[in-house]
Amino acid sequence: MGEENVPSSIVQFAQLDSLLNLGRANSLWPMTFGLACCAIEMMCTGGSRYDISRFGAEVFRPSPRQSDVMIVAGTINKKLELAVKTLYDQMPEPKWVIAMGNCAISGGPFKVKENYNVVEGADKLFPVDVYIPGCPPRPEALLEGIMTLEEKITGKRRWPRVLPG
Amino acid sequence: MDMLEKIQVALAELFPETAPLVSQEGEGGQEVPPRESGALVTNFTKYGSHLDVLCRPDQVVSVAQIMDREGYFLEAISGVDWLDKQQFEVLYDYNRLGGKHCRVMVRTRVPRNEPMVPTISAIFPAADWHERETFDFYGVHFQGHPNLIRILLPEDADFHPLRKDYMP
Amino acid sequence: MTVPIHLRHDETFVLNLGPQHPATHGVLRVKLTMDGEYIVKAEPVLGYIHRMHEKLAEGGSFAQFMPNTARMDYLHALAFNHGWALVVEKAAGIEVPERAEYIRVITVELNRIASHLLWWAAFLLDLGGFTPLLYAFDDREKIIDLLERVTGSRLTYCYMRFGGVYNDIDEEFIAGTRDFIKRLRGRMPRLYHDLVTHNIILIKRIKDIGIISAEQCRRYGATGPVARGSGINYDIRKNEPYSVYPEFDFDVPVFDEGDSMARYMVRMHEMEQSMRIIEQALDKLPDGPVMGKAPKVLKPEAGYYYSAVETARGSLGHRLVCDGGKNPYKLKLRSPTFSNLSLYGEVAEGMLLADALAFMGSLDLVIPEIDR
Repeated sequence: MGEENVPSSIVQFAQLDSLLNLGRANSLWPMTFGLACCAIEMMCTGGSRYDISRFGAEVFRPSPRQSDVMIVAGTINKKLELAVKTLYDQMPEPKWVIAMGNCAISGGPFKVKENYNVVEGADKLFPVDVYIPGCPPRPEALLEGIMTLEEKITGKRRWPRVLPG
Repeated sequence: MDMLEKIQVALAELFPETAPLVSQEGEGGQEVPPRESGALVTNFTKYGSHLDVLCRPDQVVSVAQIMDREGYFLEAISGVDWLDKQQFEVLYDYNRLGGKHCRVMVRTRVPRNEPMVPTISAIFPAADWHERETFDFYGVHFQGHPNLIRILLPEDADFHPLRKDYMP
Repeated sequence: MTVPIHLRHDETFVLNLGPQHPATHGVLRVKLTMDGEYIVKAEPVLGYIHRMHEKLAEGGSFAQFMPNTARMDYLHALAFNHGWALVVEKAAGIEVPERAEYIRVITVELNRIASHLLWWAAFLLDLGGFTPLLYAFDDREKIIDLLERVTGSRLTYCYMRFGGVYNDIDEEFIAGTRDFIKRLRGRMPRLYHDLVTHNIILIKRIKDIGIISAEQCRRYGATGPVARGSGINYDIRKNEPYSVYPEFDFDVPVFDEGDSMARYMVRMHEMEQSMRIIEQALDKLPDGPVMGKAPKVLKPEAGYYYSAVETARGSLGHRLVCDGGKNPYKLKLRSPTFSNLSLYGEVAEGMLLADALAFMGSLDLVIPEIDR
């Protein structure tokens, strides 16, 4: 789905909005939605080596009502489709979605002609903000995805982009 | 080898007319003579099982009772779709837990348009889920199963995906 | 401790332990019919991550299925690679050089330790302890570093080929593995056993919970640590040895109580035994090629083939039916956790809800392996 211009709240503040956005970006609370292999890399990101709590996102909430961002880590099925959509609808605004791994982006290794059960990408169900490719993506890639989401929320990047070379 | 002989003796009460044949161990692989039913000793290193039993669908429950009596456990139930012969084949894998090991593969063939096999879930509760999975993938109906509904596909799916003529 | 009470079947409600729950097993749904806090009936519902592996196997060639094998049980992916390589090598008659067999055993056992570490961390996370997760992941990262040097991936390995492995191991890997074993052996007594295994809270939560008898294991086809925790001495590496396992001297831990504590102790001892196997394999490692001769296009002769390997969760079987073509005609994956979970309905009756979750954690479930 394409870009949607959805206002973040009914009441619009002026300069206070950027302060609120800074607060939101630095304390994204993910929902534990690990479905398959990518979930293990998400757990590794929460471990002590690739510490995700440096970026404020350590508090994985089991309930969608208490979380900001849904990290779709794994393959979505035709049987699970309705549950995923319900979980997305239950999250309060403002909410974001990170599609982690090839399966959540486009169906991944299961997008073949015999496919009868896999939904080809999370963006067939709801708008996705950040796509992280990989099968599974490294924990550093997930951290880069969090930082890209922060840049999308605040407009500024917390850490300068390190270019190769 | 004594475990293998023991199970052959136990199964001989079901297959008295076809005595177990010994496989030809040669370069060209073993010649499987066309047979209706019977037990065949196979080369374990190559094929992974010691005994290959082909039986009629109505003999499946008696074979399972003999295996249960001899202390085997049901490892897996699989289905195979032989589209050219218009038959489904149901494979049962039996194994022993501990002690001298002996793997027995029991096969049975049913016609493709009316696949009915009696259930063995009263003898081996493991068969409950395995038979549901074979029904889910192929549409083989297990008579007498307490709860023959789909297990892996959505409950309202109307296709059997692992059939050879299925393409979504 | 399950208190035998008279369960009232007329005043029950249905609680959905839904596909999304904080226990990190994956997407398993259990329909629980409850009488207050006690479970009257537990019915696992599967299929939420069914990814059609058996159909994909029929659609591609034998080599094209190798990456799929790692996606089923991603925690012990190398054993799944090994099982597929074994069955195709049996069918096509491909020989594997000895150095490749030793490398396979070393990497599979390292992966087994990593899988048990993650089970330990997730189990204790279910019971409410967060700290063991950090310790276990620290050790697991060391294993992942070692395996990443050699295989190229962190989690879903596609390292084995028909005829051997595709990359050789070097001196740094061998030295690193020996260092890792020394480090883990040093950490085990204090951080793993003193802190957790002898912890009174853990003992009270898992002792005498979820007792599975040996006869139940046989009737449901449970293998692996679930069967070994109930007194059944069955390990494929000893009973039906494959690869070079007969060369190594290791024990198979068997406990008789059948409760969750027994299964816990089986896995902790298995980690130590895996370390013994790795040390012996590193000492005996021969020189030579790591890849045997395999034809470019595999066309095994028609027949029914079976291979069984011991994964961290039980006995994994590949039932391959070939018809002489270059695709498998039918592949049935006998997943150990599928059979282990089938006894959940019978054993969880009459349990408290918290105990049922401790029991589920002790079974060591990986749902994508059940649903394939």
